[in-house]
Amino acid sequence: MPYHEFEASKCIPERKQHAVIKGPGEDLSHALPKGYLNTIPGSISERGCAYCGAKHVIGTPMKDVIHISHGPVGCTYDTWQTKRYISDNNNFQLKYTFATDVKEKHIVFGAEPLLKKNIHEAFDAFPEIKRMTIYQTCATALIGDDIDAIAQEVMEERPDVDIFVCNSPGFAGPSQSGGHHKINIAWINQKVGTVEPEITSDYVINYVGEYNIQGDQEVMLDFFNRMGIQVLSTFTGNGSYDGLRAMHRAHLNVLECARSAEYICDELRARYGIPRLDIDGFGFEPLSGSLRKIGLFFGIEDRAEAIIAEETAKWKPQLDWYKERLKGKRVCLWPGGSKLWHWAHVIEEEMGLKVVSVYTKFGHQGDMEKGISRCSEGALAIDDPNELEGLEAIEMLKPDVIFTGKRPGEVAKKAGVPYLNAHGYHNGPYKGYEGWVRFARDIYNAIYSPMHQLSNLDISKDEIPTDNGFLTRKMLSDATLPPEVVNDPILKQYDGKLDPIPDLRAKTYPVFPKKEPAPVAAE
Amino acid sequence: MTCHVVPKERAGVVNPIFTCQPAGAQFASIGVKDCIGIVHGGQGCVMFVRLLISQHLKESFEIASSSLHEDGAVFGALNRVEEAVDVLLSRYPHVKVVPIITTCSTEVIGDDVDGVITKLEEGLLAEKFAGREVHLLAMHQPSFVGSMISGYDLAVRDFVKKFAEKGEPSEKITLITGWVNPGDVKELKHLLKEMEIEANVLFEIESFDSPLLPSKDNVNHGNTTVEDLRNTANAKATFVLNRYEGGKAADFLKKKHKVPSVIGPTPIGIRNTDTFLKQLSDVTGKPIPKKLVHERGVALDAIADISHMFLAEKKVAIYGAPDLVIGLAEFCLDLEMRPKLLLLGDDNSKYVEDPRIKALQENVDHEMEIVTNADFWELEDRIKNKGLELDLILGHSKGRFISIDYGIPMVRVGFPTYDRAGLYRYPVVGYNGAAWLAEQMANTLFQDMENKKNKEWVLNVW
Repeated sequence: MPYHEFEASKCIPERKQHAVIKGPGEDLSHALPKGYLNTIPGSISERGCAYCGAKHVIGTPMKDVIHISHGPVGCTYDTWQTKRYISDNNNFQLKYTFATDVKEKHIVFGAEPLLKKNIHEAFDAFPEIKRMTIYQTCATALIGDDIDAIAQEVMEERPDVDIFVCNSPGFAGPSQSGGHHKINIAWINQKVGTVEPEITSDYVINYVGEYNIQGDQEVMLDFFNRMGIQVLSTFTGNGSYDGLRAMHRAHLNVLECARSAEYICDELRARYGIPRLDIDGFGFEPLSGSLRKIGLFFGIEDRAEAIIAEETAKWKPQLDWYKERLKGKRVCLWPGGSKLWHWAHVIEEEMGLKVVSVYTKFGHQGDMEKGISRCSEGALAIDDPNELEGLEAIEMLKPDVIFTGKRPGEVAKKAGVPYLNAHGYHNGPYKGYEGWVRFARDIYNAIYSPMHQLSNLDISKDEIPTDNGFLTRKMLSDATLPPEVVNDPILKQYDGKLDPIPDLRAKTYPVFPKKEPAPVAAE
Repeated sequence: MTCHVVPKERAGVVNPIFTCQPAGAQFASIGVKDCIGIVHGGQGCVMFVRLLISQHLKESFEIASSSLHEDGAVFGALNRVEEAVDVLLSRYPHVKVVPIITTCSTEVIGDDVDGVITKLEEGLLAEKFAGREVHLLAMHQPSFVGSMISGYDLAVRDFVKKFAEKGEPSEKITLITGWVNPGDVKELKHLLKEMEIEANVLFEIESFDSPLLPSKDNVNHGNTTVEDLRNTANAKATFVLNRYEGGKAADFLKKKHKVPSVIGPTPIGIRNTDTFLKQLSDVTGKPIPKKLVHERGVALDAIADISHMFLAEKKVAIYGAPDLVIGLAEFCLDLEMRPKLLLLGDDNSKYVEDPRIKALQENVDHEMEIVTNADFWELEDRIKNKGLELDLILGHSKGRFISIDYGIPMVRVGFPTYDRAGLYRYPVVGYNGAAWLAEQMANTLFQDMENKKNKEWVLNVW
């Protein structure tokens, strides 16, 4: 697994140890790219800052909270309406964002009085909201405002409110990952253990590292509800502030994104003895395995198996319809952090795709370990990629589709490669069995887009085909498929709704009576 | 007088209308050919602004970061600027212009960006990049002063200040468009062409609406050259269409190089376009051609079909960039509409002295408020709690949930408009822009009449 040197990065030799190509028969012991090191200035890296890692990724998906950033207005504006973390309370956290609007005079004389005024104004404007998170920014970190003290003062003046403070300025770490860590630790230090929940089930979990992108959390909640499991809190997508204060009473932490949220799980284990179970909501097999593990932990495997059987029977024929048509298509899997290992092997096994490259913007070596070991031979793995390396990789690897963010997606488009949004999804949710089919459907729609095909034609010199007034995706995808596959009576295209979430929200669940006395530590 | 100008009374911001200064400088920087800016600050200051621009234009643009980390925040981060310039120039051989754009963090720690530029010019550029044309310039953009609007204004001035150089006087004019769309630049160039006037356009961003080509040409950039910027000192006049997005550059050129300037009005609507053409004609001596009489007539013909029948007396709220908001309000008045509320999203103290705002105060005959330093809560609170009734909202996408939640139709205009397809391609300036705007407003109202079954049958016979 030799290090891969990009032509564009020859003048910055330290980059060489940030990319590897997995060679024949090689495993991780041959090489591992460096990760989570300081960014090379001027390299046009794709990394964000520690403030956005704390506020935008983890803090803001909390749904019943005034999220206020203490600083100039830009940090707030820039991290507002750029993500798709929905909630079941009319998306309050998507619609409203708050900034203390620090100006020059506050930089000179201090911005604490301004902050206090802001907190009161915000609670006055939204009297139904009683919870608040405050995020430090670069400017207020540097002038040294004591945000915790102001929050404490306000909580004494307004006893019905509760405020959480996160000190994670933009410069606090090489990437957004620094902010993930800071807010994890701040939350358990300040808030966990300050609310006592009502325990209604024998099986109680926290669902951690899940941000409800396009409804992912609600899809997974459906499975947990069907198993009779009480979900005390979700950290943090569609999660409530007070639910997250009660995390200490769970019997098990079920961890999805281990990149952004393993810290709080590890602390909950150390401080409260709650075990951590890493799961995976993406892909039929990983999801089935995850539900089985949870069932096994609580001794309710039968409930898990019933769900797995029902869902698989319903959705597998649709997944396989796409698998037949996606076989061998080349993918650059270029997400932010954890999706490189969540998806790498599963899209190969369950959709027939070929992952030719993985990258991570803010992942650590641990993410690369998992990602590379799950990649197949020849895959190019890049840590902290930059603009030129991305373009060079596209040229070298000639992918059929790229899973990445919105802006790099525009770069891919110009290189003639369709992209899918790996962060916010195209038409998600992508978790759950149906979600995984939706993902396959989106990939299929991207790869076989007739418009993308047209963009490769140079009408000034190429032969212009004049025999078709249109092409459908199926005319493109099925042209080389054997007739038994094309006419397979079992396989079928996705037939779900545009948005499956409203049905889930309206659903009722069977009651599983709680055994008396409660078996586990909830004294 | 029933038009009041009031500042927002609250200290804080609930849902900001603007982002901070460095975003304006970054948007200006991508208009210059062979230019990649380095933002000296945290990575988010670049990553999110690049995202914002790509949300609006559905294109990606290159802007670099000095990637300020904790050690730099404590010990100073000028070494990061030095390294960034070296890395950027080494990897992008075509780059000639590198603005170093500061942010709140690096202004607070007091990094001497001007000093490090001198050091780089004498060291790195003279040695490693000897013989290569490279221009470094400092852009001081503390985020706690002004807004993206002042950031853009300062950046245009800084570009002009760096390059403007007295030479042979030219018949060309300089046209500083302000923060507009590719469609606007196209329309402005069309007007100039019809007038047979040659112009240096700052910035040539028509190319921001770029094609998907079989050649896979993947770099998007503006086309204003160093030469264009140099020649701003020799122009016959500087035309600044948006007072707050280019005014400082015109002032500089007037003071330093004695270039006369024409400030505004923003040519939004028929009347302001007339004024713009008259000013062009006065300065250049070129007559307004029949072709534009025809074009104006086509626009007026379209507008006459909708103005007094449908648009008259419709109550409108407008928010966004000050010149855009004022221009739209003026056009709405010509269309017999009632701008009820204008929201200007920063604390620029000059707004109250703006002659256009004074004219509104003196002449508007309905109740109207202009809020400075405004946020979106100034709009939402009035609708939700204070009985403001509106028929239409004009503004950018960040206000979309007010339109959605309160059922008020909205025409997307300004920056950013990411929740509608392709708006960057259409002009709001000139006669074509006037017709397009009026028709957008009418069609949006028509759609709303149908959605709400509110006299939707009227359109049967129109």
